[in-house]
Amino acid sequence: MPFLVIGLSHHSSPVTMRERFAFSEAAIPDALEKLRRQTGAAEALILSTCNRVEIYAVTASPDPPAAAALRKFLLDYHRWEEPLEDEIYCHIGARGLEHLFQVACGLDSMVLGETEILGQVKKAYELALRHRHTGGSLNKIFQRAFNVAKQIRTETNIQRGCVSVGSVAVELAEKIFSSLGKHPVLVIGAGETGEKTARALWSRGARNILVSNRSHERALALAQELGGRAIPFDDWAGEFPAIDIVLSSTAAPQHILTRARLEGLMKARKNRPLLLIDIAVPRDIDPEIKFVENVYLYNIDDLQEIADNHLQQRKEEAARCQALIRDKARALLPAAGLIGRPDLAVGNG
Amino acid sequence: MNYGNGVLWQNPRTYFLLAVILYGCSAVYSIFLWRRGFRRDDHINYLLLLAGAALHTWAMIQRGLRFDRCPVNNLYEAMTFVAWTIVAAYLVIGLIPKLRHLGAFVAPIIFGIGVFALMPALDVPYKDQPQFRNGLVSLHAALTLLSYGAFGLSSVAALMYLTLEHDLKFHKLRAVLSLLPPIDRLEKITSRLLWAGFLLLTAGLAFIPFLVKQRPELRLAADPKVPWSLLVWLLYLGLLVLHSRFAQSGRRFAWGAIGAFTFVLLTFWGVNLLSPAHKF
Repeated sequence: MPFLVIGLSHHSSPVTMRERFAFSEAAIPDALEKLRRQTGAAEALILSTCNRVEIYAVTASPDPPAAAALRKFLLDYHRWEEPLEDEIYCHIGARGLEHLFQVACGLDSMVLGETEILGQVKKAYELALRHRHTGGSLNKIFQRAFNVAKQIRTETNIQRGCVSVGSVAVELAEKIFSSLGKHPVLVIGAGETGEKTARALWSRGARNILVSNRSHERALALAQELGGRAIPFDDWAGEFPAIDIVLSSTAAPQHILTRARLEGLMKARKNRPLLLIDIAVPRDIDPEIKFVENVYLYNIDDLQEIADNHLQQRKEEAARCQALIRDKARALLPAAGLIGRPDLAVGNG
Repeated sequence: MNYGNGVLWQNPRTYFLLAVILYGCSAVYSIFLWRRGFRRDDHINYLLLLAGAALHTWAMIQRGLRFDRCPVNNLYEAMTFVAWTIVAAYLVIGLIPKLRHLGAFVAPIIFGIGVFALMPALDVPYKDQPQFRNGLVSLHAALTLLSYGAFGLSSVAALMYLTLEHDLKFHKLRAVLSLLPPIDRLEKITSRLLWAGFLLLTAGLAFIPFLVKQRPELRLAADPKVPWSLLVWLLYLGLLVLHSRFAQSGRRFAWGAIGAFTFVLLTFWGVNLLSPAHKF
């Protein structure tokens, strides 16, 4: 029995089109019922996320008619009557399995190597399983997909390293402090990037967050959201002895923290390690500060460089993952009782 | 009493030699782990050290069984005991995957101690019987050697601290990719191991007055080991006081731990050879 994948993703279509084809979670069981009735698919599953809408099916009929039937169902279900070019793709047999494994491993995601998609695939599978739209073949295929995703995660570096400025800042903080919950964070300036980074720190356990901003109302609002405390902009230096992480993103035209000032403050801090994250342009923190002992200073370019390096490494690692996935897909084809032309990818006709 | 003869496989030194070869392999492998920035949890190094430790333990057991007492009776045995303490502690700590990379720092140190211990001059045969005739002496030797083991481990943690600290300070990518523990934890580990070593050393040295009573012929005033031990004790006391009372933390503390242990390693054998009370 052929295994097919038909759908559209962020690679092939704009969001305006993806949102038209999206299935709500509540509608999926009925949609699967109709799909199986109308196309004759023996087993089927629908994966619908903000970046992709895909139907995975095992059909009794040969590949081309089955692919055409699934495509017709997708267009008819969403009442799509406009002309199409290459937006909808279809993969059959081993190619389809490879695609599923790539999706589960985050290799086909907008952020290469992200892990959220695996949870979404699992959820889609559980929904189809609960409503008895999967059988021996799809169960085996999806269980193998979850195993491959686990293997890829543990044996390769595809998910290592953060690829956004905020998460890189958190990663650095975790290399200095073993538990962010015990280390007070001072956010100076509540701009957009500063706010995102503060939220990233909060999501990883930072609980003692002080916010200082020229507009005290804005500081109050952010502090309230993060369960922290707002302090007047002119008073932040007074809090410094207790602070371990500083996140600065003000619009000040000159340095608000100089080396001479920090050296005085470090004595009051008893030389405990201090992480300074300067995401302001122009910079808030004097670059000379990096020479002060037990102080770790990173500016926006440093963080971006780390994020870019991580992304580059993920891309390099993707080639290893593809090879592993190809082998796993080819091995699974006969084991799952599937027939298929291993390298066939059906066009969008 | 001579214990170096006999069939090769019956000689405990052979097993220790094999252990040192494995430690050497581990030290070479560690260079690759350093270069790769400790990005993956690595079992190979742990297994190499485990195999080395098994042979090392067997060598010590054979010696111990032969004399029916703790095998810390000459410089060779003392060095093997210190190395064994370090590797045994690592094997326990290394059960935690996040701390397994400690092995890359442990391997060069125990390899160095092992090569040093194998020098023929250090394995001097006992006279009529081993020097350590009673439990008190064995306890004194075991406690002080355990303390050197703890100091060795603390210098290993300090080395890890300096590696990560350097990478963080100079924005090396491997700082965030490595599996090394955070630097505040490494500093805590260094400090705790130093305290453990210091307490063990203090306890070991506290037996000296009782040992002198047992051997009135000993003249401690003329023994260089006495001022040396006092110096080592003061060195570590100073390091701990500076750290806890005068905020001498971070790099300085780590360098202090490494420097103090290097001093112990470089002078321990010479002082023992000069010490009449430690001539076996």
